[in-house]
Amino acid sequence: MTALLQIIFDALSLGSIYALAALGIALIFGVMRLINFAHGDYIAFCVFAMLAPSTDAMAVMLLGNLPTVLLVPVILAIGAGLSVLSELLIYRRLRDANPATMMVASFALGFVINHFILMLYSSRPKSISLWPDLSLPVEILGARLPLLQLLAIIVTVAIVVALALFLKRTRFGLEMRAAAENFTMARMLGVRANRVILLAFAISGMLAGAIGLLLVAQTGTADIGMGGSVMLVAFIATVIGGLGSLPGAVIAGILIGAISVLMQVILPLDARPFRDAFVYGAVIACLIWRPQGLFAPKSAKQRV
Amino acid sequence: MISRSALFRTLSTPVILVLLLVVIAALAKLTGSGPFERTVTETFIRVVLVVGLYIFIGNSGVMSFGHVGFMCLSAYATAWLTIPPMMKKFSMKGLPDFLLLHQAPLIVSLVVSPLFAALFAYLVGRILMRLSGIAASIATFALLAIINVIYSNWDSVTGGTSSVVGIPMLTGIWLSLGGAVIAVMIAYAYGVSRFGLALRAAREEATAASASGVDIVKQRLIAFVVSAFVIGVAGVLYAHFLGVVNPDAFYLGLTFISLAMLVVGGMNSLSGAVLGVVVISGIIEILRSLEKGIAIGGATVAIPNGLQEIAIGVIMILILIFRPSGLTRNQELTSRGWPFRREGASKRALPPAMPEQEAYGKNH
Amino acid sequence: MTLLALDNITVKYGQLTALRQASLSLEAGETVFITGPNGAGKSTLLKAIAGVVAPAAGTIRLAGENIARRRPEDIARLGFSMVPEGRHVFGNLSIEENLRLGTGIRSDKAQVRTDLAAMYEIFPALFERRHSPAGLLSGGQQQMLVVARALMAGPKLIAIDEPSLGLAPKIIDQVYETLLRLRDQRGLTLLIVEQSSARAMLTGGRMILLRSGEIILQGDARELAKGDALQKAYFGYGEH
Repeated sequence: MTALLQIIFDALSLGSIYALAALGIALIFGVMRLINFAHGDYIAFCVFAMLAPSTDAMAVMLLGNLPTVLLVPVILAIGAGLSVLSELLIYRRLRDANPATMMVASFALGFVINHFILMLYSSRPKSISLWPDLSLPVEILGARLPLLQLLAIIVTVAIVVALALFLKRTRFGLEMRAAAENFTMARMLGVRANRVILLAFAISGMLAGAIGLLLVAQTGTADIGMGGSVMLVAFIATVIGGLGSLPGAVIAGILIGAISVLMQVILPLDARPFRDAFVYGAVIACLIWRPQGLFAPKSAKQRV
Repeated sequence: MISRSALFRTLSTPVILVLLLVVIAALAKLTGSGPFERTVTETFIRVVLVVGLYIFIGNSGVMSFGHVGFMCLSAYATAWLTIPPMMKKFSMKGLPDFLLLHQAPLIVSLVVSPLFAALFAYLVGRILMRLSGIAASIATFALLAIINVIYSNWDSVTGGTSSVVGIPMLTGIWLSLGGAVIAVMIAYAYGVSRFGLALRAAREEATAASASGVDIVKQRLIAFVVSAFVIGVAGVLYAHFLGVVNPDAFYLGLTFISLAMLVVGGMNSLSGAVLGVVVISGIIEILRSLEKGIAIGGATVAIPNGLQEIAIGVIMILILIFRPSGLTRNQELTSRGWPFRREGASKRALPPAMPEQEAYGKNH
Repeated sequence: MTLLALDNITVKYGQLTALRQASLSLEAGETVFITGPNGAGKSTLLKAIAGVVAPAAGTIRLAGENIARRRPEDIARLGFSMVPEGRHVFGNLSIEENLRLGTGIRSDKAQVRTDLAAMYEIFPALFERRHSPAGLLSGGQQQMLVVARALMAGPKLIAIDEPSLGLAPKIIDQVYETLLRLRDQRGLTLLIVEQSSARAMLTGGRMILLRSGEIILQGDARELAKGDALQKAYFGYGEH
């Protein structure tokens, strides 16, 4: 029983991070049909923003020394700021371009941010000690897990609920949902395109900051490739969840986390290193079965 | 299949492109600089890769992230075939005997390895090609990842994440030029064939094409396999250029840069594929030498380390902002003239077939 | 008062000219129909007014202000509302959310509440399911919804692109009946695109005939129905 619980918590905590990442991607995709490949680098940027530029293996905290109550909002603001800046400087000018162009532009942006960090901090992963107390194990229903894992799950739930409330109950949220479904129609009803898009970028950036904080606390390192592996899953989760569907992205993220952990347990020892291949295989199978995604929005489809 | 005049008109494109490549090769030889020759060789290999990408992506309109996986497949295949048996016994014990005990000449591998990649593409494509749009793209991403995971972990056959060494370094500037020329010719021939035309028709207006009898899945599969073959050639050339292979050389980094070169050049045109590689490679080289420092007057002017990559990223973004359809604006270089200055050239090569659906359904 | 004035509007999609030097004007309170065969440029005309496509040349004046090439959200704020072809309800949003969407540009919150109540009175079917997703409505109900939605934005001029598309004749009658009632109640100016000129002749008002991007005929709908000018324009080649 305990083993099962352990697995469930592992799946949920991994899935939470994937879900948050997928949410960040899905938000922007919803309003702009852009998959922001730079998102993983926003995460890395937020992480390194806590440190003083140096090439040492031991991280020197700069902003990271702020008390938590200040640190969290500051990092979230940095994420939002970077995200909004990319919209203002780059994506706004590519609004009408074809999807491939926007996508390559976002790679290029990610590339630039990545190498900017590289220039200041070198590629050595640095060890960071952020909120060390949270690594202490906690007993829940017989399973022992680090408090941090539990926290990741709780934080994700809180964020998802807050976002859901925002989208359902506020004017901004209404406009964003409408814009995600049919941007042009929303504009014809007076919804301001630029405002909605900026909002999506800001929230997406904040999510990147949150993921950065969680990753650092979990792994104790600041590594330039941190956002990378998470983002790969996030893109996949966004598509599998159903493009334009935020709940779909969240659920898909959790699902992929769950499948990952499950594979780790089920697969025979020899096959374990190939776990990821099975997960990606499952992704392809899912796409063949339901190419529009698991929770594709119910928008009235045009018949030719 | 094709009218004589149509053939004549479009033939100028591959001719111009081939001439361009030959001129570059000649210039490289003239400078007599070894390192510069190597750079140009690598550029030509990239041309093969990006032209291979164009064959599929440009004609089908489906963005594929997985093609570099085919390069991986064929690069390792050539390693298996051409590395001396003595070395194979150590690093890749799990190989079947017919590979372990023999060593094939490059010429054999140049045909067999790309065929291997193409066969794999055929098998996988039969499943994937029924997907469209973004689902297809993510599926190809997953494919790339699967190949990477398998090759990184199947130690006995691929040497795992450590580099496989001992590949005879036989790719020189003329061989790679040859590869690039052949790639351009294959791409051109495919493009003017009825397969290419059918696929492009489906790209622009799927329903109409389908109603006219185009089997979209089959056409996509054909393009997928042909492009895998060409990319397979790039894989062989690259392996014999570096002398070593490892799985991460054929993963995200190469995928992104090759797609970037294609899109910056102009995704839907063969000229775009070639120009994209040439221009971006050129810019990278200039930045690289700037970083090393160039002598002006008596002093050495250099840009700080690490700025080179940032600069190339910024330049690509700028090009895309000012030319969203790429440098060639999705047109081809022809003897008719420079496509770059055409007045009123729109962002799209063709007007949207059903303008109503375009404007409102942009989100779909 | 001239509410809308198009002056030599030309719209191109790439190399294709969809609308060629079209000029027309609408007086406040008028009901004008735009008809013509497929591909004539009727939808393009509406889209140019709405700001969805930018005209290559010409001006569009709404209540005196030039709105050509301005953004759709700004044009909506100047008193123009459009119901595009194919309905386009926000399927994932509830009916009430659909209705409320257009009210963001209005500052008279109390009046908005009154208007909403009025809409529900006119469309009781919408009231019943006001919290369920709009995607579940039938075609006719969706058409009512999008008309109501456009009206909730409080426009002076409302343009509707093919309100009859895909609807049964009885439903079309209902839609028009409601539309005209609302027009009379609120003093709206209507600009309606219909492929068949029959509706125009039934309803009365002015009719403008477009063919291949050009305006080839204008006049009172019922008058035109009497003569053969309409048939000649539709079927004649090179005569007009």
